[in-house]
Amino acid sequence: MLRMDRRFLASFDWVLLFLLVLVCGMAYMNLYSATYPSPGRMPPYLKQGYLLLMGVVGILFILSFDYKELHLWNYPIYVFTILLLALVIFAGNSAGGAQRWINLGFFQLQPSEPAKLMMVITLASYYSRKETVIGYSLKELILPIILMAIPFVLILIQPDLGTALMFVIIFISMTVLAKLRWSTYIILGASGIAMIVLGWLYVLKPYQKQRVETLLNPAHNAMEEGYQILQSKIAIGSGGLFGKGFMEGTQGHLHFLPERHTDFAFSVWCEEWGFAGSLFFLLVYFIMLIWGLHAAMSAKDRFGLFLSFGVVALIFWQAVINLLMILGFLPVVGIPLPMFSYGGSSLLTTLLGMGILLNVRMRRFQTESTLEGCDG
Amino acid sequence: MADLKKMMNKRFLRELGDISESDQAGLDSLRKRVLFIGLIVLFFMTVILLRLWFLQIHKGEEYKNRAENNRVRIREVAPPRGDILDRYGKELVTNQPSFNVVLVREDSNDVDELLKRLSVILKEDVSVLWERIRAAESKQKHIPIRLKENLSWDTLAYLETHNKDFPGIRIEVFPRRFYHYGDMAAHIIGYLGEISKSELENADGDFYRGGDLVGKMGLEKLREEALRGDKGNDSSEVNARGFEQKLLAHTEPIPGKEVRLTLDINLQQAAEEAMDKDERSGAVVVMEVKTGRLLVLASTPRLHLADFEGGISTKNWNALLENPKHPLINKAFQAMYPPGSTYKMVTALAGLARGVITRDTTFFCTGHIDFGNRVYNCWKKGGHGTVDLHRAISESCDVYFYQVGMRVGVDGLAEYANKLGLGIKTQAEIEHEKAGLIPTKEWKKKTKGVKWQDGETLSLAIGQGFNLVTPLQLCQMTATIANGGKRYLPQIIESVTDAEGKVLELFQPKLVNELLAEEKKYLTWIRAGMVDVVQGARGTARAVRIPGITIAGKTGTAQVVRLEQYKHLHEEDIPYKYRDHAWFTCFAPAEDPEIAVTVLVEHGLHGGSGAGPVAKAVMQKYFADRIAVEAIKQAVMH
Repeated sequence: MLRMDRRFLASFDWVLLFLLVLVCGMAYMNLYSATYPSPGRMPPYLKQGYLLLMGVVGILFILSFDYKELHLWNYPIYVFTILLLALVIFAGNSAGGAQRWINLGFFQLQPSEPAKLMMVITLASYYSRKETVIGYSLKELILPIILMAIPFVLILIQPDLGTALMFVIIFISMTVLAKLRWSTYIILGASGIAMIVLGWLYVLKPYQKQRVETLLNPAHNAMEEGYQILQSKIAIGSGGLFGKGFMEGTQGHLHFLPERHTDFAFSVWCEEWGFAGSLFFLLVYFIMLIWGLHAAMSAKDRFGLFLSFGVVALIFWQAVINLLMILGFLPVVGIPLPMFSYGGSSLLTTLLGMGILLNVRMRRFQTESTLEGCDG
Repeated sequence: MADLKKMMNKRFLRELGDISESDQAGLDSLRKRVLFIGLIVLFFMTVILLRLWFLQIHKGEEYKNRAENNRVRIREVAPPRGDILDRYGKELVTNQPSFNVVLVREDSNDVDELLKRLSVILKEDVSVLWERIRAAESKQKHIPIRLKENLSWDTLAYLETHNKDFPGIRIEVFPRRFYHYGDMAAHIIGYLGEISKSELENADGDFYRGGDLVGKMGLEKLREEALRGDKGNDSSEVNARGFEQKLLAHTEPIPGKEVRLTLDINLQQAAEEAMDKDERSGAVVVMEVKTGRLLVLASTPRLHLADFEGGISTKNWNALLENPKHPLINKAFQAMYPPGSTYKMVTALAGLARGVITRDTTFFCTGHIDFGNRVYNCWKKGGHGTVDLHRAISESCDVYFYQVGMRVGVDGLAEYANKLGLGIKTQAEIEHEKAGLIPTKEWKKKTKGVKWQDGETLSLAIGQGFNLVTPLQLCQMTATIANGGKRYLPQIIESVTDAEGKVLELFQPKLVNELLAEEKKYLTWIRAGMVDVVQGARGTARAVRIPGITIAGKTGTAQVVRLEQYKHLHEEDIPYKYRDHAWFTCFAPAEDPEIAVTVLVEHGLHGGSGAGPVAKAVMQKYFADRIAVEAIKQAVMH
């Protein structure tokens, strides 16, 4: 199974790997600064080093088999992930009033992160199986909606609204790509709006409503929610053109910036490297995403296309939501900047996703002949 | 096992077949959609970059400032307040370190328990300490809250040695005003108190913070700006929790300026101690006649300055308000009294200047005069007989001045009163100065709505009636008479010097107005009369005489009420508050006057006996050297 064809190496996407390494390098530097000084046996930058190594192993593992096998293993993966999500609710570790983690001893696993990737695989699998020209009907969407709704609900009751909404966003992204009938769009749109209204009235917890309200009127509650966004804006803005320099940011180092190595990690980057540095990072990051879309387009089959598109959508939407949040355009939701925010589950999930992208790229010229290698 | 494997493989192939048999057209349409979705990625990237440009470039400076404000805490370092000295450099008020207990809440985890133990050490009730904390609750947690001021040495030593047992408790060294001469000149020096809300709002610039001490009265208030100095700064970097990380910059505070007064504290002390005898309530003003320097500005009963430190208690305040001797009022210029016979100099000058009398004009005093349908008495029931100007002054003949006043008229009297500074504020650097009252016909019409009665002019001429003056005005008038007609501005500041020794302000005599040459001539005659008030055989203030020093003066009695029910009583039997006020104003040496001394004793009955001894004590102090020389001379001659 681990046998590598020379043709795979020849068609390996070095550009994507280079961009990935560049992003992870910047993220690592930023983590070092954001968590400095970090006493203790296991400082975050060291932990991040181990996680990156684990990520490399994960990528190699993904590359070792044909991505199409994911299609075969789709349901076992799905069921396993759902079991993990269910386990979190009963046996998870809580932090900040939410149960999100499973303690694996060496590692705190947050199952909602790999669940995102699982969602991508599941939907790619479904949409690649059923082809359509005129678009999906509502009936054909019932199964994917159910598949999406199960993890959505499990994560919502943790409670983690931000992550739960990511499932809806991934679903919408991939479903729109798969093409719907106009009637389906209208029905889904209308019921979506109805869900939002009902959710606001009956489901959202006060702190979640407050977050939205704070965004709409930041002066209203400057001390709590608004404080975080304000400090983030101060950090970013005070970076100016060239920034305060590596390790020189005051907003981060003096702890004015909340969550400075996780959700607000990019604020630290902006403060220390200025507009020039943030421009550079974003160009690299978005080129990487565009390159990912390019990978989707170059996929040789529907599954590969949906799969790589889903991975890009997953990274892209998290990145956009995180960036818009730290820039003060969105409420504070716990969505990390993939690969840049500190967080093991998110990092590993994203790296596995990148592994899938590389896999799809690597096997873009492959035909059925490779199946022989898997047989046995 | 093998079956399962086969089955899996079969299913695998079927499933893969499902997804692999894609028609190229469908795949191409999907690729087009992906390309379109790429535009969405570019759109968001543009939005994010524009936002970054807006925050970092367009608003970069603003956010840089905000980040600085976040990070830098400026702590003010209070400057030592300037000293107050007397004319000869004797220290009146300086600073002394006082030790206060302060609590920094962020360093203490159990305030409740801490206060319980602390209350035992401080001998202060826990509720009192809690009250202090509650008052400062809104302040940030790193700002120290003062729990108790002026620790005793024992308490201080205990807390210093047991500081580990009191987390969050610190000792603060605070400069405290120290009054070297106790409460001497208390009214003039004034006191400090915590700045009030309205003072904070009305203050110029941003010098003051809540809790700062500012001058509340006297020169501490009037010269606040000079005495306070300039605050220094410690700029430190703080983290989000307010902990200081490192010192960024430091500027030294600039100490307050040294203010030297014109007061002679020894003379002031002599005056106040003389007033203390018989618990006299009143005022003493001593002025240099040729400069306007105020050597003594005393008001009794004195204020007890220590009571005001850190805010006066309600009990003490009420006691001050209810005290019948009104200690809160500086009687030297915040209270007005009828001038009594001291006003006769004004009447004399007016008479001479208006030409209604000459030096040799005489009137016959029978002990009273009938005017209108009233009888106006002379203080001497038997009358003075034939009286000229000199005798009229030295023996204070009322009838003589009734005659003069009648001829000059109310407005004529007022003109000369004003020329001598009565009825107008002296404009000295003092607070709440009263202007006094010198009535005119117009004044009465305006305020009382009735015509001036000529009989009232008679009362005025001897200093009764509507006339009101302050001791300071009367002293200035006496000085003007003494120096030959130059009215100087009374001044209290000798010099202001900054910490480097640079003199910023130096005493300069300021002439307010000057009498005409003709009028100055009349003053010599008046002065001669005043000399005999003290030195003459029948003078009214013979008791004030000091061997070797020629004193010229004038006694005065200011009627408080004219109640028939007390007329038959002995003076001593009249209730205190209805007794007449006693005036004595004088200058010396008569040949070449140096100082003018004015004494007012409230309800002191007679100028000569009530107020005279105080003036005498002051002059004995002032001329002590000359008196000693004279005594030796006398001893040698005999």
